[in-house]
Amino acid sequence: MRNSIGSFALAAAMIAAAVGAQAFDQTKYPDWSGQWRRPSGVGNQWDTSRPPRQGQAPLTPEYQAIYEANLKDQAAGGQGTDPTYICIPDGMPRAMNVIFPMEIIIQPIVTHVMIEYLSMLRRIYTDGRDWPENVEPSFMGYSIGKWLDEGGRGRYDVLQVETRNLKGPRSFDASGIPLHADNQTVVKERIYVDKADPNILHDEVTTIDNALTRPWTVTKNYHRERNPVWVEAICAEGNQHVRIGNENYMLSADGYLMPAKKGQAPPDLRYFDRTRK
Amino acid sequence: MLSQSTFGAITLLAALTTTVAGAQAFDDAKYPDWSGQWRRIEGGPPRYDMSKPPGHGQQAPLTPEYRALHEQSLKDQAAGGQGFDTTYMCIPMGMPRQMSGVFPFEFIFAPKITYILFEMMIQQPRRIYTDGRDWPKNEEPTFAGDSIGKWIDADGDGRYDVLEVETRNLRGPRVWDQSGMPMHADNEAVITERIYLDKANPDILHDEMTTTDHSLTRPWTATRNFKRERKVIWTENNCTEGNNHVVIGKENYFRSGDGYLMPARKNQAPPDLRYFKQSQK
Repeated sequence: MRNSIGSFALAAAMIAAAVGAQAFDQTKYPDWSGQWRRPSGVGNQWDTSRPPRQGQAPLTPEYQAIYEANLKDQAAGGQGTDPTYICIPDGMPRAMNVIFPMEIIIQPIVTHVMIEYLSMLRRIYTDGRDWPENVEPSFMGYSIGKWLDEGGRGRYDVLQVETRNLKGPRSFDASGIPLHADNQTVVKERIYVDKADPNILHDEVTTIDNALTRPWTVTKNYHRERNPVWVEAICAEGNQHVRIGNENYMLSADGYLMPAKKGQAPPDLRYFDRTRK
Repeated sequence: MLSQSTFGAITLLAALTTTVAGAQAFDDAKYPDWSGQWRRIEGGPPRYDMSKPPGHGQQAPLTPEYRALHEQSLKDQAAGGQGFDTTYMCIPMGMPRQMSGVFPFEFIFAPKITYILFEMMIQQPRRIYTDGRDWPKNEEPTFAGDSIGKWIDADGDGRYDVLEVETRNLRGPRVWDQSGMPMHADNEAVITERIYLDKANPDILHDEMTTTDHSLTRPWTATRNFKRERKVIWTENNCTEGNNHVVIGKENYFRSGDGYLMPARKNQAPPDLRYFKQSQK
């Protein structure tokens, strides 16, 4: 009997030591390693289940009018309300378009979502913290997440995320669907691996924004590359857009400033000594 | 001879420890605590060897050819130009300059990769592969390069304390610091690092860095020192937002506070507007 007690004590001590060393039990979390890309053949519109541009967004009349003006400007060679041509980050929710690949690193306190383009980085805090006070708003916002074991298998399978504290300007996609200038956007997500195919990830994204008449829900889908090669997507390198004042110009292939729109006036050169022209 | 109850206990022990060990795919207790936010300790202009003054004070072991290029860069900067420093255009600094710690960074340890993530968004994340892999073949060079690392238990206490890293496959243009001291255009630099916590102060991190580059007459070693912030607030440092440099052709201009193009240097000529209709000028 004494031997048994001693053996159990030894067992308990060894297990305690092992558990103590195991500050982060990875097996409680899903395997979302590798590189995630949007499926080939899918456009870059926000709701990929619908054609781009018209009919995408439940915009308020005011923001529908802004969107229409934006489309007109883009048709004339402008950039409309898409601010990313000058290498401003996509911000949320647009970053989850994942035009360039994404990596998800799951850690006990924070899950990092790294997007290759512009090194966009989301930190999703899963340690039960409350919303911070007096934090500067950002394009990617502040994200609080919660892991759920919806399958009841003792392993988390869904990451629920809410993102707030955003800054602008932001648009939903390259067509310039605008988000409200008040930046009161709240983005809610449910991220999970497909039940039938572990190499497909879904992100159900609901955006609540004052540019919309109702919350707008879309599902983004990503495919996994398990042996990724990472490249650098550096927006500023080779960017041919030149913004001066409120005008966007282009750089010609031979290095001169050129109009981006038909009949566009050249920049005002009042600060140059005109006698040197 | 073991009693039945003892045998049962040992069987239970074996079963339980197997379960625990199986569940323990990544034992983070084997790794040092480098959590939090790290930024440089020493002040002044960011430079490769923080123990020495900037510019000529760096005493960089440059070849005569690259010393002349550095002089050219300094001269251009003195005249209002940017010299060979390309970061004003929001081009990544690349290695080894991106480890300056001017803006904060953080580490993430994963089973196969140690990540270094930088607040300054133009810096590409560093992925340091620690799974024993060989150098990749046919991969595009990058500003951050390919990094292979090895965790070392230097003091033999059963826990890793040093990360040894080698970085290759870099692209350019890269410079050593903001004085525009150029690295070699062949981009064959190799950077080795030993990263470890200070023995006396766990909130100080050292990065002993040796760079081999054809702009140098010999490998150049310097130690970077970083201090930890444990209560972290991350911000977004997006280079392009509010960047008032405007590059047209080979010329750098500025955007004035009231939104007009203006010279960046004395007597700079305005840009050639040949592609605009003259009547609109």
